[in-house]
Amino acid sequence: MIAKKVLLVGNFGVGKTSLIRRFVLNEFSEAYISTIGVRVSTKIVELNTEKIKLLIWDVAGTRDDEKVPKAYFLGASAAMYVFDVSREETYLNIEKQIAVVQQLSGLKEIMIVGNKKDLLSLHQLEALKNKVNIPINLITSAKENENVEDAFTILAEQSLK
Amino acid sequence: MEKPTVDNKHDNRFELLKELLLYDDRQDFNVLKDEILEREKFKRKVEPLVDEKIDDLKNNFSVHFGDKVTESIKVQIRESQDEVVEALYPIIGKLIKKFIVAEITKLTENINQTINDKFSISQIIKRLFKGKRTDADDVLQEVFEPIIEEVFVIEKDSGLLKGSFSRGSIADKDMVSGMLTAIKSFAEDAFSKEGQDLEDIKFETFQLSIQNFKTIYIATATSGIVNSDFKEELYDYNNTLAERILLDRSFLEDEERLNHLIVDTFIKTKKLD
Repeated sequence: MIAKKVLLVGNFGVGKTSLIRRFVLNEFSEAYISTIGVRVSTKIVELNTEKIKLLIWDVAGTRDDEKVPKAYFLGASAAMYVFDVSREETYLNIEKQIAVVQQLSGLKEIMIVGNKKDLLSLHQLEALKNKVNIPINLITSAKENENVEDAFTILAEQSLK
Repeated sequence: MEKPTVDNKHDNRFELLKELLLYDDRQDFNVLKDEILEREKFKRKVEPLVDEKIDDLKNNFSVHFGDKVTESIKVQIRESQDEVVEALYPIIGKLIKKFIVAEITKLTENINQTINDKFSISQIIKRLFKGKRTDADDVLQEVFEPIIEEVFVIEKDSGLLKGSFSRGSIADKDMVSGMLTAIKSFAEDAFSKEGQDLEDIKFETFQLSIQNFKTIYIATATSGIVNSDFKEELYDYNNTLAERILLDRSFLEDEERLNHLIVDTFIKTKKLD
């Protein structure tokens, strides 16, 4: 079975951990992410009858002031940048933050996911797409389990590119 | 005088008087009777249901009350920690004492056996030719022989597990190797100067040794006393394993083959036996 390291990055409180909780059950305790700034979970995804084991690194923060070891970003085959659709500050500098992730991981393509869809109306979601400067791959709701599986399937596909 | 005949009229009067005097009592009596009869009827109706409920409670007590009872016990223990400790202390104390006595007896027997062996003629001759190891080292080595519990071959940057050997039952080795890589990166980033690597992690009776190579690292978890000789041996065998893997990188793409190679390499050292 192919195994791939994938990253989940984004500001604090955007729901990265909730997305993983929805997607996987086997995960280390909450203490790890606050202590060393990362938590690793695994999940097997089936893509066109092929099984891929994803080693999902949930990295806490990407801002310069957050001292996350650069090594966490190495060796990744794909990355998902998560922001909170209801909090502007989480996507205000999205281009700059994605550039940081690209630089640290060496990945050209980063998947963009807006989470907490359940907090906005359809009209607000449409308006959001114009506010965010770069194309959003998917809008999810970890709370209502909307598009979560799809988000990780796209991530798995990207990891094979 | 003629004896008066039965006067029906008079008798009816008596009956009427009885009726009048006992009317209230009879009413009360009837109400009570109805009530008792009603109760009996109700009892007959309810009894099977009550029996059924009792059986259900008997059979499924833990299902109905398990959580509540556990929670109550937890609260009780939390609120009366001193009393609980006081009650358990003598019992636990005795158990610990018994366990320690048994273990020390075993340890004494082992040490005596090892010392006796050490002073046999053949061992005395061996001692004349041995190197820097002390007798204490030898005794400890034999009593607490180090055993390799786990071997993980992990890709350095990604933390992906490439192959492993395990005596235990680690549920998700991939997750463990990922977290181990994260902890290693964190420690190296936080405490090390450039170019230094995390080499050892000690946890209770386990020692985790990490040996870094260019693209992989090998992590071994050992129980028992790890002395410098054992460490040197481990270092050599890790090098042998890494050399074979790095000479033939196809091992890194075939987990099963690599797992066999790990077992072969370490069995040859007789450390896995």
